[in-house]
Amino acid sequence: MSAGDRRALILLIAGFTAWSFGFVLLYGLQALGCAYDWPAHRAILIAAYIVTLAPLAWLSLIKVRAEGEPASVLALSALWANRAALAAGVLTFFPATFASACI
Amino acid sequence: MLFGSILLFALVMVLFALAYIRTGWISRITPTQWIVGGGLVLPIPVLVLLTGTALVLGEQLLPHGRTPVTIEAHAARWNWTFSYPGGTTQAGDVLHMPAGQPVDILVTTEDVIHAFWVPRLGGKIDAIPGHTNTIRLEADRPGIYWGQCAEYCGIGHDIMRFRVEVHSAEDFAARFGGEAR
Amino acid sequence: MTGKPSPVRLHKDLETIWKTPPGIARLSSVNHTILGKRFMLLALIFFAIGGFLSMLIRAQLATPHSAFVGPEIYNQIFTMHGTVMMFLFAIPMLEGFAIYMLPKLLGARDLAFPRVTAYGFWCYFFGGSILVIAMLAGVAPDSGWFMYTPLSSRPYTAGINADVWLLGITFVEISAVTAAIEIFVSILKLRAPGMSLARMPLMAWYMLVTAGMMIVGFPPLILGSILLELERAFDLPFFDPTRGGDSLLWQHLFWLFGHPEVYIIFLPAAGVLSTIIPVFAQRQILGYRAIIAAIVAMGFLSFGLWVHHMFTVGIPHLALAFFSAASALVAIPTAIQIFAWIGTLASGRPRWDIPMLYVFGFFFVFVIGGLTGVMLAMVPFNTQAHDSYFVVAHLHYVLVGGFVFPMLAGLYHWLPHITGRQSVYRLSIPAFWLIFIGFNVTFFLMHLTGLMGMPRRISTYPSNWGWDWLNLLSSVGGFILTMGFSLVLVDMILQFRFGRRFRRDPWRAQTLEWAMPTPPTDYNFASLPRVDMRADAIEPAPLGPVLASGEGYLGFARNNQQETLAVDMMTGVIEHIVILPRRTYLPLWTALATGGFFVSLLLGHYWLAPFFALLVTGLILLWPASLGFREDQGPVPIGRGETAPFDAESTSNAAILANRTALVTNATLFSSLLFGGLFLIVVAPNWDSAPAPLVPVWLSILAVLAAVAGGASAFFARATNRAGGAVTGGLAGAVLAQGIATAAFLAIMAGMGNPTAHASIAIAFVTLGYCALHSAIGAVIAGHALWRKHQGYVSARRATDPELAFLWNGYAGITAVFGAAMALLLGGIL
Ligand code: HEM
Ligand SMILES: [Cu+2]
Ligand SMILES: [Cu+2]
Repeated sequence: MSAGDRRALILLIAGFTAWSFGFVLLYGLQALGCAYDWPAHRAILIAAYIVTLAPLAWLSLIKVRAEGEPASVLALSALWANRAALAAGVLTFFPATFASACI
Repeated sequence: MLFGSILLFALVMVLFALAYIRTGWISRITPTQWIVGGGLVLPIPVLVLLTGTALVLGEQLLPHGRTPVTIEAHAARWNWTFSYPGGTTQAGDVLHMPAGQPVDILVTTEDVIHAFWVPRLGGKIDAIPGHTNTIRLEADRPGIYWGQCAEYCGIGHDIMRFRVEVHSAEDFAARFGGEAR
Repeated sequence: MTGKPSPVRLHKDLETIWKTPPGIARLSSVNHTILGKRFMLLALIFFAIGGFLSMLIRAQLATPHSAFVGPEIYNQIFTMHGTVMMFLFAIPMLEGFAIYMLPKLLGARDLAFPRVTAYGFWCYFFGGSILVIAMLAGVAPDSGWFMYTPLSSRPYTAGINADVWLLGITFVEISAVTAAIEIFVSILKLRAPGMSLARMPLMAWYMLVTAGMMIVGFPPLILGSILLELERAFDLPFFDPTRGGDSLLWQHLFWLFGHPEVYIIFLPAAGVLSTIIPVFAQRQILGYRAIIAAIVAMGFLSFGLWVHHMFTVGIPHLALAFFSAASALVAIPTAIQIFAWIGTLASGRPRWDIPMLYVFGFFFVFVIGGLTGVMLAMVPFNTQAHDSYFVVAHLHYVLVGGFVFPMLAGLYHWLPHITGRQSVYRLSIPAFWLIFIGFNVTFFLMHLTGLMGMPRRISTYPSNWGWDWLNLLSSVGGFILTMGFSLVLVDMILQFRFGRRFRRDPWRAQTLEWAMPTPPTDYNFASLPRVDMRADAIEPAPLGPVLASGEGYLGFARNNQQETLAVDMMTGVIEHIVILPRRTYLPLWTALATGGFFVSLLLGHYWLAPFFALLVTGLILLWPASLGFREDQGPVPIGRGETAPFDAESTSNAAILANRTALVTNATLFSSLLFGGLFLIVVAPNWDSAPAPLVPVWLSILAVLAAVAGGASAFFARATNRAGGAVTGGLAGAVLAQGIATAAFLAIMAGMGNPTAHASIAIAFVTLGYCALHSAIGAVIAGHALWRKHQGYVSARRATDPELAFLWNGYAGITAVFGAAMALLLGGIL
């Protein structure tokens, strides 16, 4: 497996892996903030929202110039998957900006 | 929501039929058009709008602050006990509520998980051991409704029902305390 | 080898090596064709049992105030119906299908670990039998298929009922995990030469993602079952709120598995559709790359939905919002696939045949189920419809539409492959209409009863609430549905007996499974094809005879070995020859010993369980004995003028990949345990005055250092072995260090206080128990590698054993760090 191939495969799941981490992070912060009555709870949530979107945005811009058969096909799937992950991040985490965090 | 669903369902079935009837134009749709049109353009706006509306609605239903009247509902296998602002506690599966004002019900349980549900008045909330959950209900006018346990709780789950008697706000205040609005 | 034998001669040669003889020796079979069929047959039997139970449900609910059975029995019936359908029908069915089909679709002669397939089957068979026997004895589980605590805890289910579920299902789950690892590794490694990832048929992509999901989806459930069984058997209070437990922990663990489970069931069925539809559209699938992206997206998104089963437990709105949005979003990859399928039909030259009739059923039913699913994802609507018959309707639309209809389409598509015969009587058409109409009558009306306020899981209802006629019609529909299924069964039997034989590829499909004799031989392909294009665009009719005459790879019999090829997982370049183990009774014995373990727990003979655990370990250590070589072999010919080494001499062989995958599963289990501990600390009631476990710091440091040293020592052994040096010292060091670590962990556990007093002590106890177990496993595997070295199976080229020793010892080191940290946190020291 060449380096380019491995890269294409990793890219295919990178976006949604980042999305999963963002999900766990936000859900965790929400729970901790309520359990320990954080004063700046909302601000922390919004900051976390932005922080999780950054890698997703970056990933959805990477276009690998993959040479050769498997890598090129997978690279295109990866681009779609990473853009989907960005969109999923923007939409699913958006409630962090307004929804009631502790009731 | 119902209407939109019927429409989307009809769309899929008609397209499926057309694929076999083979009118000319349908075989000229390109792969990208299928994927982008059907898979992205069609569902995304619908879903965003729907979820957005539901979230805003959900916010409004939350028990923000405290209502003048709060009632405690305590579940135990297989009956309900209700306690009122004035300090009365009544076993016997009858819940009294004032009409025309929001009421917070604080739901707890003695043993296993149960759920408090009055279908005509709104959603349900579970009674979880060790936790207190709150649900805000509002009955428009006096009358009799029925409620029931909506989380399976063992042999008596079928019959774990209760009656809801909604009184005018004044009557309720007179009998059970709390301020009338 | 010298001169080409005739196809008949080649068939005879291969058959003598691969054949499973009839009679009692069948029990020793490890062949994927035989086991795949067995899995599917047993799953069908369980479908019949589950279907029979659903008929009892409908008979009971047909009229109000029914006196058919009382609530005690009714509760067992619906619990068993749900449990049987989900765990004993749907999952094993898809496993069996994958086991039967994948090697054929990918151009291999078997799966990577045939004996594991057999072991999984026996676990499924014995575990399922435990449940059925309990049902016949009247002590079936009765807490609902998701077994919410505290209803399923000792105080409220005193009898054996809940133990039957926890132990029986965990036993069956072994087969799900082993099948998942095996499928995952086989798809990545055991493909026809030249078949790069991007040339795989979509079915393989679907199964790859499904297997990946199972690998991380099942551990939370297994952990939950272990914890609940510990609570029931030894009173460790993980779910008891009065002692710092929380019943919500069970719900999180269960649904963390339970929601992905629904997609685990749907994805293989979608794979079936993506395989069948192009055949009947007479064109390649449209949007291959978009579908891959959609499958990956679905795989991940489905892990972000679990709380939508818990919208009413009192979780804050923000958290609900995340899960609600993710639940709505998962509709998008689904829509992409639906439109890709319709587009494929529309832009091809569609033919109509029996399988397409069932595909039509899928579209109709599944789209309705999907739409009600989006409705249920909306929090305000959900709090109204949750736990009502609306949900029962929804779940059956999704499961029957998304699994049963596609599987029936698959049945009519591939039954000729299994039997070698085509159906002559067109019973499938009336059967379809009975199923289709019966299904919609039964379940569409349940949407209405649900919206009218009828809760699920009730055995009777009053007659004055307007539910009567809807329920009666539902029951009538249920019986029409059953008639339809019986007709399918009759049709299948008729096809086996009287079907018309055919030559090759009756549907003009374009995938490799048709490029072999039907019914298939025990070795699948007399020689393995080279795939230079997308593997769903080949022509089986001309290819079949070419392969049969031995013109592909490995078109010969060598040394009585069962050989197939392994490739680079990405590019499909040939890597090595896999020598598959031959038939043996070992899997059966091992499964029986495993069964002994579970039964002794079930009957409360806890002292017996450790003996069976030792027996299982001992038997498993016998498995590798027949594998490997005592000398280096170097590359050997594989036909077509090429050569390749044997698997024992490859550093990227299936065994190593499988152990890595197993460690991922294992790590998911451990993370779920750590998550559970943190969850209880943050959320559970009664932690303010919790007694802290006594965790001596120096002993913890000793344990961690020893476990990490074990990992380092195994790493050292692996490195020196590769460089041609001696491994004995490093491996012996690992055994010693892990032995010390195990002892130290056990010592902490013994002195930490009474674990039944509070969840804080119980969690620390179990976490350290996990660490002790893994240090012990590290020691055993390092010791085993030492023994293999002593027997002459290890050299610089034959490096698998030191590699595995390193993997497990390194893992023990890592878990020791996290486990000790968790214990010190609970002990108030960190
Ligand atoms: C053969 C036709 C079937 C009929 C007539 C049927 C009928 C029912 C009914 C009436 C219930 C509700 C029981 C209650 O809440 O009291 C139910 C529950 C359920 N069914 Fe089915 N079912 C069928 C097939 C299936 C299939 C194929 C699956 C899954 C693959 C399935 C999975 C379930 C599950 C998971 C439950 C929930 C059990 C629980 O509440 O614990 N069913 N079924
Ligand atoms: Cu109940
Ligand atoms: Cu779900």
